[in-house]
Amino acid sequence: MLEMLSYDFMQRSLAAAMLVGAVCSAIGVFVVLRGLAFIGAGTAHAAFAGVALAYLMGWPPLAVAIVFGLATVWIAGLMEEQGRMKLDVSIGILYTATMALAILFLGLMKTYNAEVYGYLFGSVLSVTAEELRIIAVLGFCVMGALLVFSKELYFIAFDQEMAEASGVPARRIFYLLLTLVAVTVVVSLKTVGAILVFAMILIPASTAYQLTHSLAQMTTLSVVIGTLCAAGGVLVSSAWDLPSGPAIVLLATAVFILSVLFSPKRLNRSQA
Amino acid sequence: MAHPIIRFSHASFGFPGVVALEDITLEISEGEFVGVIGPNGSGKTTLCRAILGLMPPFAGGLQIFDCACQELRCHHRARIGYLPQKDALDRHFPITVLEAVMMGRYGALGLFTRPSKQDREIALHALENVGMQDHSKTALGHLSGGQQQRVFIARALAQQPQVLLLDEPTTGIDITTQASVLDLVQRLHRDMGLTVLLVTHDINMIRERVNRLVLLKTRLYAAGPPAEVLRPDILREVYGKDLVITEKDLIIVEDYHHHH
Repeated sequence: MLEMLSYDFMQRSLAAAMLVGAVCSAIGVFVVLRGLAFIGAGTAHAAFAGVALAYLMGWPPLAVAIVFGLATVWIAGLMEEQGRMKLDVSIGILYTATMALAILFLGLMKTYNAEVYGYLFGSVLSVTAEELRIIAVLGFCVMGALLVFSKELYFIAFDQEMAEASGVPARRIFYLLLTLVAVTVVVSLKTVGAILVFAMILIPASTAYQLTHSLAQMTTLSVVIGTLCAAGGVLVSSAWDLPSGPAIVLLATAVFILSVLFSPKRLNRSQA
Repeated sequence: MAHPIIRFSHASFGFPGVVALEDITLEISEGEFVGVIGPNGSGKTTLCRAILGLMPPFAGGLQIFDCACQELRCHHRARIGYLPQKDALDRHFPITVLEAVMMGRYGALGLFTRPSKQDREIALHALENVGMQDHSKTALGHLSGGQQQRVFIARALAQQPQVLLLDEPTTGIDITTQASVLDLVQRLHRDMGLTVLLVTHDINMIRERVNRLVLLKTRLYAAGPPAEVLRPDILREVYGKDLVITEKDLIIVEDYHHHH
């Protein structure tokens, strides 16, 4: 195992996975608390459609994925704000529509392109130095924004109407959160893939939710769990030659199941 | 008379096709304790949202702190401590009492400013004011309904507001606790000189505590000292057959008890 860590590709994979694990699990706290679980899945599939279009047209995949991801969250947010449609309904429609677009773009490609499918299922072991740099820059931007606006993000997650009533620009902060979710999804595409990024946003935060009664502690725990599961998943996948995305997500799921079984909240309830 | 800080002049509010409040003319002066009463759907919560600047009038005008409500900025809103009508709280939402009260500071602090030690002290002092200082580290979900309302009042106080706007603060809590929450509000009004607007269904609970009552049913039916507003003829006109006045002058509004 230690010998494997001396390879450049392995160090890159581990760094990429830990960065993605940290960013996904940090934003996941606000996604879980604000009840936006479905938005991660919708954005991931929209971003994948962007990747497919980029490969079809010869454009840069991450840039097009960001455009698709942002368009999806902003349209869904706008529809909810104007009272036209609930967020989960509009995301559901955009999710399926963009997935249909992705399949259409894949169908239009003359040959099988393994790289595109890498974005669907994740291939952390093939992350290049350039991709790692992009993940690091975008990841630090997301973490920086979460840190700077944490008090407002916590407030809208707890009670958006109350936040607005007490003078927090709640609407703008909500759109900031949607934007950060879209960027996080795109950052994570190459590492865990479009299908599993949703799990990396939800599972560590939901695990932390089981374990604490404090917002600050929930965030810290979520980031620690997400980072460790991502690193553990990469090591397991390389040791046993398993696909990396599923290894990360299944490890996180196992930790989640343990957290539910031993949750102080659950134990308190059964004692009550 | 003290300076009016909230001024409705022939103001109407609503959504497309629905008029929630019509032609309201009302002034609320600094330091007053005003109770807002009326049947279900009479526009009481709309009145709160209007005062918070979240719902501009489609006709007439509304001025808050000498500022048209359409121009109400975040720093104005931070001067109104608001306790919204609350659905049952998610018992497991991971937030401690102090974290919830600290949120009261966020609007006044503005973006990019981290809460300081002084903000923490203001939040702790607000908790002391509502008698919850020993629970600062407790999970909010572990408290009783009455204790949670005290914490939310502390959050409103942490804003260091001029106006306290309370929408049904006693709904969903037992009768003894209801009285203690209202005693607390009365004390805060008296000791801190806060202007208080309290929306409620329970006329009996507040009639002895307020300076003025405002009776709404889409329109403003009456506003004045409780004795002037709680006249059987006015109440019967607003509540209709739902109103029962007992021999001891207790007013029971059937409509409320049927729906809750």
